[in-house]
Amino acid sequence: MAKLLETVDLVTNFYTYEGVVKALNKVSLVMDHGVTFGLVGESGCGKSVTARSIMRIVQEPGRIEGGKVIVFLDEKDKQAGIDLLDQSETYMEGLRGDRISMIFQEPNAALNPTMSIGDQVSESFLFHQKKEMCAKILEDLCAPECHAFYPFKKFQQALYRIAARNPGSLALRILNRIPIVKRWQKRLKKEAKTRAIEILKKLSIPHSEQVVEQYPHNLSGGMKQRIVIAIALACSPMLLIADEATSNLDVTIQAQILELLHRLKEEVISSILLITHDLGVVAETCDRVGVMYAGNLCEVADVKDLFDSPLHPYTRALLDAVPRFSMEGKLKSIEGDVPNLVTPPPGCRFHPRCPHAMDICRMELPELTDMGNNHLMACHLIDC
Amino acid sequence: MSQRHPRLRELKFTLYRIIRNPSAVIGFTLLLFFAGVALFAPQIAPPKYTYNPYMMPHKGFSPTPKPPSDTNIFGTTSGQYDIFYGAVWGTRTAFKIGLFVVGIAVLVGVTLGAVSGYFGGIIDEIIMRITDIMWAIPTLVLAMAIVVAFGRGLDKIMIALAMVQWRWYVRVLRSEILTLRDQDFVQAAKTMGVSDLKIILRHILPNAIYPILILASMDMGSMVITASFMSFVGLGAPKGYSDWGQMVALARNYIVGPPDDPLKFWYTIVIPGACIVLFVLAWNLIGDALRDAFDPKLRRR
Amino acid sequence: MLAYVIRRFFLLFFVLFGVSVLLFGILMTFSPERRAATYVSSPQQAKDIPRIIKKFGLDDPFYVQYVRWIKELSKGNMGWSLVASRPVGEAFWRYLPVTLEMNLFAAPIVILFGIWLGTLAGIHRDTWIDHITRILAIVGWSLPTFLFALVLLMIFYGHFQLFSPGVLSDHLSIFIIDNPDKFTPFTGMYTIDGILNGRFDITLDSLAHLILPVMTYVIVVVALNMRVMRSGIIEELSKEYVTTARAKGADKKTVHIKHARRNALLPVVTVAGQLMAMSMEGSIAVEVVFNRHGIGWWLAESATQLDMPVLMCICLFMGVVFVITNLTLDILYGYIDPRIRLT
Repeated sequence: MAKLLETVDLVTNFYTYEGVVKALNKVSLVMDHGVTFGLVGESGCGKSVTARSIMRIVQEPGRIEGGKVIVFLDEKDKQAGIDLLDQSETYMEGLRGDRISMIFQEPNAALNPTMSIGDQVSESFLFHQKKEMCAKILEDLCAPECHAFYPFKKFQQALYRIAARNPGSLALRILNRIPIVKRWQKRLKKEAKTRAIEILKKLSIPHSEQVVEQYPHNLSGGMKQRIVIAIALACSPMLLIADEATSNLDVTIQAQILELLHRLKEEVISSILLITHDLGVVAETCDRVGVMYAGNLCEVADVKDLFDSPLHPYTRALLDAVPRFSMEGKLKSIEGDVPNLVTPPPGCRFHPRCPHAMDICRMELPELTDMGNNHLMACHLIDC
Repeated sequence: MSQRHPRLRELKFTLYRIIRNPSAVIGFTLLLFFAGVALFAPQIAPPKYTYNPYMMPHKGFSPTPKPPSDTNIFGTTSGQYDIFYGAVWGTRTAFKIGLFVVGIAVLVGVTLGAVSGYFGGIIDEIIMRITDIMWAIPTLVLAMAIVVAFGRGLDKIMIALAMVQWRWYVRVLRSEILTLRDQDFVQAAKTMGVSDLKIILRHILPNAIYPILILASMDMGSMVITASFMSFVGLGAPKGYSDWGQMVALARNYIVGPPDDPLKFWYTIVIPGACIVLFVLAWNLIGDALRDAFDPKLRRR
Repeated sequence: MLAYVIRRFFLLFFVLFGVSVLLFGILMTFSPERRAATYVSSPQQAKDIPRIIKKFGLDDPFYVQYVRWIKELSKGNMGWSLVASRPVGEAFWRYLPVTLEMNLFAAPIVILFGIWLGTLAGIHRDTWIDHITRILAIVGWSLPTFLFALVLLMIFYGHFQLFSPGVLSDHLSIFIIDNPDKFTPFTGMYTIDGILNGRFDITLDSLAHLILPVMTYVIVVVALNMRVMRSGIIEELSKEYVTTARAKGADKKTVHIKHARRNALLPVVTVAGQLMAMSMEGSIAVEVVFNRHGIGWWLAESATQLDMPVLMCICLFMGVVFVITNLTLDILYGYIDPRIRLT
């Protein structure tokens, strides 16, 4: 399988009043096409920051300070990797929502309360598919069945011809500011709305024609999350990043959403980066898993491998801590506290809590090494 | 990990935010300056009429103002009143006005707002309807109406403004209390049987006080401005009293000097005016700094 | 939506009633003798006061006098204005256009500048743009309008000989008074009447006389508008839907204007009523200093002469303005924010 995404030694810091929070400490993640990759870890370990660093939408006062984020957007040509950190903001704006999309944790806040659902979903199409839509409208306009008032028709044909070639041309931008003239965009907006209704239907949202006219406060939480997914999938991206997308929903809705994502993976998207703290979700839905702790990737493996034979001490402790019906006695927990990322422990950040800590763990950060079968681990206990 | 007492830490953080803010530093400095002038007014500008130190001394009655000289540091205004004296003692007047109006407005407003917000129901309705009616007329207009009814005088201005200004505090405090009242810590106190008064005083007010503080410091300035305008129009202190607004009123006929030197009498307007502006600026800077320091979203960057 | 509007309407009638009671209460703080004194114009007539009190029923109970007062009001009789030497009602309509004109020109400035500068300050938070606008806002807020007007008059009129006070230049005023047939005051506002009468020189002249006054009192209102807009934008930019928009691939401009600013306008609309009140207060100071005979000037002059009926009329007028403004704002709010429409 071809590589889709590779981060190399990604470093992201947050400059706060209390000091510099070293959120990502040389994270090197590799993800292939067609894979559902689960990124797990405790709250505050840096999973969301990694996702946002990939999309380059890290919040203030965060800054990406080092490393590379290489994406291989052309599935056939494996060599065509682009370092996202080198690209301009305009390029990133074109990428976001079109090739890589992201959905977030809180569906109630993720939608603009004063814009209709239709407008918000159409926005994705208007950002990325203007050319195609204009070309299609032009075709319709030139077709013999089009019965529009002749001068308007000619005028619109001319405009759409320009738009199909270059939507951001100066002429169009000027025309868009003139009150009556800018109505030429009506067809475009209508086309975008049609596509919006289509994608809503694809996500099994009932009564999509009515939903499109409604506002976020008219809908339930589960429905809103579907809309958010619809927005993300509107332009058929190659990668969908789901940042704790089901954490705020109740269990039944959660199951529905996960099933939806699974079905869509077959039809629409090819790869998903699923960020969660729920090991159960990972076991159910993911092909490959990465475990993060305090800004470092500790272990990456295929999902069966990870659960059958966890290698890293942290992963082992994590899996031990999951309560099972067959257990008796006290619940197992991991000793100690999550480190303060302003003054993180030197070397391996897990060493203060690790039962197998050695001297070298205090001094050197371990690198991710392949232990066979594409099972990677970052620990100095390689020989154990 | 050592944790200092959370309240101390927050206080320290707030102070840090205030001190780091250059406008706050300027504001405090200005305020201290004015406070000093007000406190030491008898020493800086010895009063001529000991029975009423607020009356500005004047040598003669000539209407033409005289420029700054050795005897009158800031010059004299129409009627030969010493501007320097007026500026110094005007500081005391300004503080008097501000503290009186804001003090009463806060007291009345906070009490009514607390009662209205906490107890709700019919009391809330009545108080809010009355306040709503008061909102219909702008501060200045309503204050003027009250002064016209009661008569001229600085004290009448202060009473009138106090009677109008409390409406702000009722609104602010009530909305704060409505937010806080349903929060868990208040509910917890209630279930533990803490009396209503204690809940208001110990739990709610310390949290609700911040916007009140900000509003109060801004009002110290606004009230001085409104009062000085009313004095300017002639509703306030009598002629010759050390009130900055009154002094500007005296200069009204001398805005433009003789054709060859139109800015001749600048000092009659600019000096009392600068006093007003700087005084109000000091309070506004402090209020602005407080607003930035207390706003939870602007913290923690 | 319609039910919402009707309900707000009724609520505000109540406010008007309350305002009238309040004002009448203030009026009644005068003793009957003092109130009778407004009807006499010379000391000799002082002995007539008891008779006047009987004649006008000035010592009847509160509610009786109140009802009588309301009846007079509905007939349009509000008393006599000393300043204008004519009935209060007539004087009111004479002075209103001047104030209206000023506010007409000031309103778009306040709205456009406030929103524009506030958005800039919010987007470029903590940069030099933000700091400068903030300093301007604080200084603007600290300036007493009347003082600023005086200083500007001193500089521009005194020193540079531009922008004289008053509404119109002397020769044009005289022309209008002397030739009533050549100039019909359709609206009472010289800028508009000049165009309607085909006399563009009058329009230009009155515009020239408007520049300084409008500039002066607009500053305070713009300062507040700007700050509210700024904090609105900062608040909206920290919300989740902005991140969603960015994740969609929205460019910064779309995020700021289409998403954040639209939602940030809501708190501005909320505070717009206050802005109007401040605008009124500012226009009073400006009219007094620049000697423009509008409502504000009339108010100040009448207050100086302790002319109560005028104060009552103006307060009632303010009450009506408040009611209408609030209703309009409520409707506007319901239009912008779809969440409100259901309630």
